[in-house]
Amino acid sequence: MDFYYGLAQTVGIHTLLGLSAYIVLLTGQVTMAQAAFFAIGAYAAGMLTVLGGWHIVPALGAGAVFGAATACAVGFPALRVKGLMLVVATLAFGEGVRLFFFNFDYQVAKGEIKVGPLGGEGFRQIRYFQEHGWSTGEVMLFIWVFVILSMAALWWFDRSRYGAVLRAVGEDELAAQSVGVNLTAVKVSAMTVGGAVAGIGGGLYAHYTTHIEHANFNVLLATFAIAYPIVGGLKNVFGTLAAVIFVQAFLIEGLRFLGDWRNLLFGALIVAAMNLRPQGFLGGRRA
Amino acid sequence: MLDFLQAVSDGLLFGATYALIGIGFTLVFGVMHKLNLAYAAASIGAAYAGLLILQVAAGAPPWAVFLCAFLGGGVIGWLVYLTCFHFIPLSNPLAPLMSTVGMLLLIDEIIVHVTAGMPQNYPAMFDDVMLRVGEFTLRGDLLLVAGVSVVCMIALLALVYRTRLGLATRAVSQQPVAAQLCGIRVAQVNAMTFIVTGLLGGIAGALIGASVGALSPLLTTPLTVKGLIVTVIGGLGSIPGAIVAGLLVGAFENVFQQFRGVTERDLYVMLLLFAFLVFRPSGLFKP
Repeated sequence: MDFYYGLAQTVGIHTLLGLSAYIVLLTGQVTMAQAAFFAIGAYAAGMLTVLGGWHIVPALGAGAVFGAATACAVGFPALRVKGLMLVVATLAFGEGVRLFFFNFDYQVAKGEIKVGPLGGEGFRQIRYFQEHGWSTGEVMLFIWVFVILSMAALWWFDRSRYGAVLRAVGEDELAAQSVGVNLTAVKVSAMTVGGAVAGIGGGLYAHYTTHIEHANFNVLLATFAIAYPIVGGLKNVFGTLAAVIFVQAFLIEGLRFLGDWRNLLFGALIVAAMNLRPQGFLGGRRA
Repeated sequence: MLDFLQAVSDGLLFGATYALIGIGFTLVFGVMHKLNLAYAAASIGAAYAGLLILQVAAGAPPWAVFLCAFLGGGVIGWLVYLTCFHFIPLSNPLAPLMSTVGMLLLIDEIIVHVTAGMPQNYPAMFDDVMLRVGEFTLRGDLLLVAGVSVVCMIALLALVYRTRLGLATRAVSQQPVAAQLCGIRVAQVNAMTFIVTGLLGGIAGALIGASVGALSPLLTTPLTVKGLIVTVIGGLGSIPGAIVAGLLVGAFENVFQQFRGVTERDLYVMLLLFAFLVFRPSGLFKP
């Protein structure tokens, strides 16, 4: 049973990551920086519970604030460039953040051992759940509370006037601008919300794995972040969830019996999925 | 001072390969307005394909390996076009982005699968030659890299600006609909662009293999990031821009590698990119 709980935890965390990219993709922007916001949330929340002795919920909130603030700060200069330039700018930013954590040391003695991030060694001993005796099932429920809250919030955004504005910018920037939509404000706000969701996801990830290091937050993770909403389709938030289940549960866990061949099939199935349903699994007639 | 000049000259020579990779990204972008994220992986894949000839005829000379990589690159380029672009509607910007990511993972995994993850030695030419100019040394293999790159660039420029295919390519890149109305087969031109960039990529991959001395699938991600950075600094869609930016990035990173160490090197390359995005977002050469 613990295996399925663990799988559900992974699916939940990756859904948060995918949702953070989903809202930015709605505005037609492709961002490769979600892994960076995820990393910032992970390090911030981890440092607050381990070094600061905080409760996990405010620590996650702080992770979200850090993620959102960084996303907002990155959004202003990065969104001056658009389309594929933005892909490269955010990709470079993500790599920059990863390299920052690669060179980031902040260790504090706690009892006999030193804890805290240590450059390339990573950040060990994020043992909040274990120290407070949470069972795997409880951790899973805790993660899914955040997933469901985020999905509900984004679902509500989608249905509201704000969602209509986001999609208007995504469909045609010029038309949106001509009816008085402030493009910069819309894009930066979407980026900020995405950063907050990624920050929460990162904080949960740090506590779920108990050990994070810079290599966790590489380009591949950023690619996964945008892959979920694109593969699942941008019609609504459930597309992202469907894609996460497809990738994490089916491609990664379900095909484990194929051994080495699974990795080969992974890329091929993504290519096939995009050829067969370019608009995503749950996408409408047009993307 | 001498160290500095030496670092610059080595970097410039190696930067020629970045220029080739940048040209590949920029050409596809110029013609299709799409990003082919699988390009760097395909180039490395082609370099591996070059090694296949050693399996067939042991002791084949290095130039045969290079030729085989060149031709393999063309084939892989065509396959990438067929699997990632041909069947996906042109109006959809996200699906080909994702399918090329899938292709990137697939090529990586094929390499890992075939070589069992072991780095492969790559034959080099002139690696025992050292040119001495006063207190300078110029590595023979790096000179070869730069020389072959220059020949490739001249051939490419001649192809684009002096042949009917080049004329058609430029027509499609400027006005796809008008080009189609004039009787140009757009799909064929697109496929040819992928074959040409694939051939270039094959050479670039082989040159990188020869100057590093070994090939490993770990090369693909950094090379993708560097290639994209070169493309953006040079100006998306500009061939001369990619050449100049490739040399610039090569020299820049080698200087910082010399003085700040290999872990911090890429951080400075990212900063260079951000300086360009803030002060000159359209790149060195506006296409």
